[in-house]
Order: sequence, then structure tokens, then C-alpha cells
Amino acid sequence: MSLFPEDPANLSISRLKLDLVAHNVALPPAKSKKEVYVELHLKHIKQKNAADFSSDEEDQVQYVADEEEAEMPDPSGLTDDDLMAALLKHGVKAGPIVDSTRALYEKKLRKLLQSDGHGCLNGVEQGVLYSDSEDEDEQEYEESGSEEEETHEQPDQAQGGSSQLSQEPVKDTFRDLLPNTNSTPTGIYVTRRRAIKGAAGRPVQYPDTPASPTTLERREVERRLVPVQIQILVFLIVVCLLYLIYVCVQDDSFTFVALLDSLNQGTDSEEGLSLQAETRDAPALSGLE
Amino acid sequence: MSSTSQKHKDFVAEPMGEKPVGALAGIGDALGGRLEEKGFDKAYVVLGQFLVLKKDEELFRDWLKDTCRANVKQQGDCYGCLKEWCDAFL
Repeated sequence: MSLFPEDPANLSISRLKLDLVAHNVALPPAKSKKEVYVELHLKHIKQKNAADFSSDEEDQVQYVADEEEAEMPDPSGLTDDDLMAALLKHGVKAGPIVDSTRALYEKKLRKLLQSDGHGCLNGVEQGVLYSDSEDEDEQEYEESGSEEEETHEQPDQAQGGSSQLSQEPVKDTFRDLLPNTNSTPTGIYVTRRRAIKGAAGRPVQYPDTPASPTTLERREVERRLVPVQIQILVFLIVVCLLYLIYVCVQDDSFTFVALLDSLNQGTDSEEGLSLQAETRDAPALSGLE
Repeated sequence: MSSTSQKHKDFVAEPMGEKPVGALAGIGDALGGRLEEKGFDKAYVVLGQFLVLKKDEELFRDWLKDTCRANVKQQGDCYGCLKEWCDAFL
């Protein structure tokens, strides 16, 4: 290598000879001119050197690439099948990998690998990843691949949920015990400060004073919403009863009506009483409200 | 969402036949031009890509973004349009 920058023309014939022998180049017939040696040197050794050099570079590049692959296999270097298998390892069922879809799947795999890398908490899991790039462990990894996926995801969930999980039960118990107070770390509960009514010239205000007549009305309507339905039901029942009684009273021609009448006559008075009671109840209820 | 846009309704209403790529919801003149440059001249070619990605929304959106620089809304419009068409006619 160190010879390479030197011009072969500057070297002695013996040196040239040595170089040529070292590079397995057939020596020219003895007593040839120096130029012949130089030419041979240029022809063979320089080319070889250049080739060697470039191949060295490639080796280096490959080595670097291998290192990267150990850390994060480069999706673009994978074959279609390998890419599909790699995606399957990450739980993605890839469709056909063709020219028009390959780039997308490569991107997806890269994204998945990145998210996995961020998911690692320490070097332990990376160690597993390193070992999986070795061929001998590949089978084993494939078997444990799905499990590992879960273990990758679980820490994230646990992290996300841990703060909530640790806080929620505490909050619940506190709220169960003291529903109206906010929990404080010291355990001392502070109530909101209230204005002193009637002091320093402020007018005395009673807590139950309504804000405005419209809100009162709204509240009343809201309070009545459910009872109104019941009231209507009761009203309908009453109307039905009244209609039945009316029909029974009117149509004396039917014999069974007469029978009903005789039956009703006993109950009529009761019904009338209950009706009266109901009709009394309704205004009483509304009056209460 | 675009599910109510006229273009979407028109596309989803009938088989796409030989409609140009611009008939897809979310694909205007600019995106249509870019897609045609890349060989996606008909709506059914885009449908082919959509299907070969197994109707995956994420992948299809990515592809549309890479191919014709569609924005998120355009991606969603086009995806929804093809999805609904497939549900109706496939």
C-alpha cells in the first residue's frame, strides 16, 4: 500500500522485480529495460493495488453495514420474503410485496423497528435483539417472537397506566369517605373560603335566594318532567275508567253490561272515592311542588 | 368528512368503468396530474394499488402522500371513496 503513491519509474530495477515477484507477475526476460518493468508494474501491481484498495473499502462498508444490521436490519437490503417475514415478526400481515408496495412496507418496518428501539428500557432486550441477528438463533427467535412483542409492549402500557393505577384507587377511597372534599397530600381538608355576609356593609344574602325567575321556572319544569308523565298516565287511566263507567251506564240493553253494572255498582262508589282522592292528590302534588 | 361531497357520491354511485383518476374524491387536477405522470391514469389503477395494499388505510395514505403529495384530507377523501366503492361493488 505504501508503495502505491510512489511512481514505479523512481524505483530501482531490483525493487521492481521484487514487487512483481511478490505479486505473482511473470517476470520479463532477463536484461530487459527498466521501462518494461515499469510498464508491468503499472499494469499489474497498480491495478491490483487499486482493486485491493477498493475491495478493502467495500469490506469496510460491508462491515459497517453489518454492524448497522445487527442493531437495526436495513429493510431495503432484505429480500421480499425476508421483508414479509420481518413484518410478520412485528405482527403485521403484509400483503403482496411488489415494486409498487415494497417502499411502503420498508417504511413501515423501519417505523416498527424505531418504535421498538424506543420501547427498550435497557440493554437487556437489545442483547436479545443482537443475538437474534445470528442465524443459529433465528429459529428460536421466531418462536419467541410473538412473546417478545408482548413484552415489548407491556412496559409501555405499564408505564402509561402506572400513574393512573396508583392514583385511582387512592382517589376512590378518599372520595368514598369524603365525597365533598378534595384529597390533599397532608390529609388536611380545606374548605372554600366564603364571603362574610352582612359584614363591612355587604348586604345579607340568604343562600336559598333564587338567581332569577327564569331559572326558577326552568327548575320547576325540570322537577316536574318525570312526574308529568306519571300524571298523564294517571289521567288517562282515570279517563278510561270514566269512559267505561259512562258506557256501562248508557248501554243497559246488554245483559253482560247489566251484570257488569251490578258488579260496578259495588265498586263504583269506591272508584269514585279513589278518583276523588286522585284528583285531590294531583293538585296537592303540584301545590307541594 | 368528505363522505357527503358530491364527487364522493358520484363515484360511489356506480361502477367506475373507465373513469379517469380525477374522478376519485380528493383527487383534483394537481394530484390527478401527478398520478397520471406516474402511470396511474385511471381510477381503477389506483383501486389496484388500494387492493394490493389490502385496503389498509395507513399504507394507502402513505402511498398517496408519497406518490402525489396528497394532504391528509385528500388522503382521507380518496381512501373513503375507494373503501365505500369496494364495499358496494367488490
